[in-house]
Parts: sequence; C-alpha cells; structure tokens
Amino acid sequence: MVENLQLAHQELSVIFDLINTVEANDSVTVASMTNPKQLPKEILSDLAVSTATKLQCYRHLGKYFKQSAKALEQQVTREAKFYGALIRLQQNWKVKRQRVAATASSSEGFTIDLFDSSLHSSAPVYRPSSLSSICIDHNSAGMLAINLPPNSCHSLHFGFLGVHSNDITQKSSRNRTYNSVELPSKETEKESLNENDCVQETHSLLREVHRSIFDEQVFDMVNREAFNSSLGVNVTGIRENYLQLGMGPGNSVFVSLVSSKDDERVEEERPQNLKYAVFPLDSLDGVKIAEENSESFNKKSVLPNFIIYEIYLKQIFHEYVFVRAKDRPTSTAARVSGQPTKDGPGLLGHFCMSLAHRIFSNKVLTKLENVVCGVSYLHLISHPTWHSRISSWTIFMKVPRSILPASSQTQASDIPKMKNITKTEFRTKIVVNDDSIKVEAEGAPNVVGLLKGSSENVYSTNKYDCDLASLPVIVLQQVASQVVRWLHEEALKVGIKANRDFLCLSFKLEQGEIVSLVAHVDPEDTEGCISWWLVMEEGYVGERKLHMDVANGASECKKFLGYLTLDVLYSTLIDLVTLCGGSGTF
Amino acid sequence: MEAQTQNTSLQRLQNVEKTIVRVLELAGGVMDELANPTGPRKEFISTHCRDFMQMIKDIQFTLRNEIKSACEYRPFEKSDYSSRISNELCCSKLDYVLSQLDAMKLAIANYHLHHPSPPLPPPPPPPTV
Repeated sequence: MVENLQLAHQELSVIFDLINTVEANDSVTVASMTNPKQLPKEILSDLAVSTATKLQCYRHLGKYFKQSAKALEQQVTREAKFYGALIRLQQNWKVKRQRVAATASSSEGFTIDLFDSSLHSSAPVYRPSSLSSICIDHNSAGMLAINLPPNSCHSLHFGFLGVHSNDITQKSSRNRTYNSVELPSKETEKESLNENDCVQETHSLLREVHRSIFDEQVFDMVNREAFNSSLGVNVTGIRENYLQLGMGPGNSVFVSLVSSKDDERVEEERPQNLKYAVFPLDSLDGVKIAEENSESFNKKSVLPNFIIYEIYLKQIFHEYVFVRAKDRPTSTAARVSGQPTKDGPGLLGHFCMSLAHRIFSNKVLTKLENVVCGVSYLHLISHPTWHSRISSWTIFMKVPRSILPASSQTQASDIPKMKNITKTEFRTKIVVNDDSIKVEAEGAPNVVGLLKGSSENVYSTNKYDCDLASLPVIVLQQVASQVVRWLHEEALKVGIKANRDFLCLSFKLEQGEIVSLVAHVDPEDTEGCISWWLVMEEGYVGERKLHMDVANGASECKKFLGYLTLDVLYSTLIDLVTLCGGSGTF
Repeated sequence: MEAQTQNTSLQRLQNVEKTIVRVLELAGGVMDELANPTGPRKEFISTHCRDFMQMIKDIQFTLRNEIKSACEYRPFEKSDYSSRISNELCCSKLDYVLSQLDAMKLAIANYHLHHPSPPLPPPPPPPTV
C-alpha cells in the first residue's frame, strides 16, 4: 500500500512538472505512456470486487424475483375472484367488452348489456333506457362490483284511486326485491363478503334493473296506447311518471312509475294528493271523486286486488311484445288464451275492459251469493273460463231421490222423448260476457208446451238476458220453476194428474176444487228467498191461472207454508196426493 | 405438474397463472443460491433449472391448447331476457297466490278460534266379559 502511494506521489510530481512547464509555455510532447503492469494481487482483488458485485446483483435479482412472485400471486388470486364472478354472471347476462385505453382505474371495459335486442326488430317504439348498459367495476376489495345511482330503479304500480293499499301481504312481496339496492353501502363489510355473496347480490341487483327496464317499457306503452286508442279509456290526469285513467262510473285507476326507494312512504299519500291534482276533462269528475269518498269502504270489497291487475297489465304487454317479436308463427297468438288479435281496441282497451268486467262480475257474484245463502238447497259452483272477460257460474240443485223405483213410471213411457231416468239435478247457468248477463236454466216449462195444454215434458233450456238488478229474481224464478217441475214429475210417477204452471202446481179434487202449491220468490227476504203457499179454489174447472188472483179473494183461501226444504215439500206433495187419491190410479 | 384433470378452461388458465408464479419463485431461489457466499450447490441448481424448464414447457402446452380450443366471441345469440321477464311475472303471481293461501289459513285459524269444536267423547269402556 505504501509503495503504491509512493509510486502515485512520483507520478503526481511528474504531472506537476508538466503543468508548470506548460504554464511556462514550453512546448512539451508526451513520448509514450505505458500501463504499469498489474501486480498479481491487484488482479485478484479486482476479480474479488467484480465477483462480489455479481453476487450482489444475483442477490438483488433473487429478491426481485421473489417479490414479483408474491405480488403476482396476490394479483392472480384477486383477479381469479373477479373473473370467476364475471363468468358466473355471464351465464345469465350478456357481458360485453370494449377495448378502452388503460385508465388508472383499470376497469378493463366490461359492461353488462341488459338491452333485449330481440324486441328491436319491430318498430322503433322502444327507446333504450339509460339503465341498459351497466359498467362493471372493481370495488375497494378488488372484487366485482356494480355501482348504480341510488334511485335509478323504478317499478310499475297500478291502483284504484281512493283505496288505500295498506295490505301487509302486498308490501312484503315488494320488500324482498329491495335488499339488493343497499349494495353500495356495504363497503364497510367487505371482509365478510365472500365471493358467493358478492355474485348473488350482483345478480339480484341486475334482476332488479332488468325488471325495472321492463316496467319502464310497459309504462311507455301504456302512455302511448292511452292517447292513441279511444275505446273506453279516458285519460283524466297526467303527471311525471303518473297516468290516471277513468273507466266507467266512479272508477278511476292510476298507473305510475315509482322509484324503489320511496315506494312505501309515498304510496300512502299518493291517492289523496292526486284527487286534488286531477285536471277535470269533463264536468263530472268532481262528482266522481265525491262518490269515491263515500263509497271507499264498499269499493274495497268489490274492487279486485290491485296487484292482480298490475301483474295482468305487465303480462299482456309482455305477451304482446313477445308475440310481436316472433311475428312469423301466428300459432303463438292462439296460445295467448284464445283471444283475438288485440290490434283493434288495443291492449290497454282490452285491459280496461277486463277490469270493468271483473268489477261487474264481482257484483254479480255478490248477488248470486246472496241468493244461494237465502235458499238452503242451492249450491253455487264457479267455473274458470280462462278468458279475462267472461265469467261463469252454475247454481246447482239436487233433489231427493224418488221413493218409487223407476219401473213404475207407466205414464212416462208413452212419451217418446222422455228418458227413463228422472232428473235429480237441476242446473242454472249464469254467464257474464263483458257486462251482459245470460241466464240459462234447464227444466223450465216450455211456453209452447204450456199453451198446448199437454203434459209433454220437453227438456228445454231457457235462455234469458238480464241486467244486474233483475238477476236475483230471474234466478230464483228459474229455481222455483225447476222445483215445481220436479214435484210435477213426482206427482206423475205416483199417478196423479197435476197441472203445472210456471210457479204453480195444481191438483183437482173430487168436488172440482183445485188445490195449488204456489212458489213465491223474493230476493230481499232475509229468512229465505223461496216461500210456498197453498191455495185452495173452488169451481174453476179447466182454467189455469197464471197469477194468484187476489181480487177474487172470496172463493180462495191461501195458507202460507213457509220456507220449505225439498224433503218437506216432497212429503207435502205426498200428503196432497193422498188427499186427491180418489182420482188417481196406482 | 400435478396430474389432475381440470374441469373448466378457466381453472386451467388459473393453474397456468399459478405456475408462472412458481416459476418466478424458482428463479428467485436459483439466484439466491448463486449468490451464496460459500458457492452454489450444483445439484440444487440443476434440479431447480430442470423444474423451471419443465414448468415453462407445461405452460406453453396448456396455453397452446387453450388458444386452439377457444371459440370466437359471438354476440349473445339466444337471448333469454324475455323468458327471464316472464319468470319474474310468474314469481310475482306465485307471491300473490301464496299471500292468498296464507290469508285462507288465517281465516281457518280464526274460524276455529271462534267456533271451537266440541271435545271428543271419551272412548267407551271395554265390555267386561
């Protein structure tokens, strides 16, 4: 070391001399220079230094590789979760990717497309909702997340004005879909959210958005149809996301789009608010609203549950859209519950008519129920018609079986058309078509047969059209005439010749007196709707009366028998038969 | 490499990523070994390098297969979005029917509450013979 320093010192002195000489401006030239030969120790030490440097580099590299491996592993597991979730979503939803430039957020441009392209082959009536395309992001934990603005989901509501929808069951079914909207606020619990939960919540959120897009489309179409068609659809009020329709006397419905967050709070207030906000299109609107106020309690029982109609509205629009998209096979149109094409009155018109029909048939049903409750031997059967504007019921009466075996009906065998089996069941069918009522009763006497005076039993079915007010009376009259016909047949079986009128069965006694069993119907009677009278007349031979002639009270006497059941009636008949037993044959 | 059968291509690709991580770790280990002040151990390095090459070969093999078998990304042909909506409608119908059935159950329970059925008569005593 010291020698090296001395050598360096010598070289430095040479250099100093050189510099002094140059400063003195003497020209100096360097003859030659040779590298000092390296000592072996120096070679070794150089080698050692470079080896140490290389080892350092290797160590550095080793550390670098290991760090990269760890970081890559973390990234791989994180992205595995993301892509795993994305693949699970892709099984159900359309995932699209746009190659955007790598931004700082590194979202990689994935979007979920909720736009139903099969609907767009037809007219450009459907505007794509702003919700149709949803960006997929990473949330703070690196997992898949969807961010939606909080009030972007709407749902379609339908209801009747003036009726509060505070039924618990209806609310609970809506609450179930709202949990997923809370997703953005769950960032604090990211540790406990495992992958499954994440995917499921995203999935239900997507369902919510998809359904909300459909609801918006339905509302759009309802608006369009309401202003285009004019069949029974009357727009009585309009606000943002709200449409009010008047249909018929005193019925007002509304269709609205409500944001999911403030659904429950606003719903209670809405019906009252809007009664005052309605713009009257005709002068009767004020009267309509007043009527609703007083009848709101009655309405609740008569009006069908609004949820049914909400679902029905969505369904018919969905089927219409579905049928329209697959336009070619028209067999699907037939599959839609056999209804004719709805292009005429339009879907909304059809919907309103269905609603009106349902309200009307509820009233019919109430009347029928009252009738059936009033008579103990009647049963009410309802028939599903699978048609939204037709309803049908049957009033069913079973009469007690005859005590006599069938073979003793000697009198019946000479009438060619009569079957050997007696009727034990009588049906009266009531069909309501939109708002027209048709009553078909079997076993009522044929008018022609009556006039001919023969005892022919024709199995005729009488058809009547009637209105709501006279429905109970007509039904009761048909039932009473069926009872009278049964009694008549029983009398014939026993061998007594009896005369049958519409509601009256008469027997002739030996002295020419006529004893009649008469039915009286009264739907308002609280004790029973069909009551029976026994009328005794003298001297009127061969004449048939169609009403009880009260003016001639002197030659008649009437006895009120009461509200008899069929068994009691039958035994009454047998008693009467034994009374006039002399003129009959056994 | 493990001789397991991978079910989905996603799992295979995820395995490839894990293998890459292991490759990096191996490289780091080799470097550390080379930097060993007492000199590298030959067999250690040779086994690691052999593993390294094997893994790289496996990665190449798997990736080549996956790329060959990956189908092109077609736009969503059979969209089930409309049947999804009809499903949602059916769900809401079911909800409603369930609520009606619950109401019926409640009505039955109320009826039994207000019209309690009379207690059953005790069974007759067995006849004594």
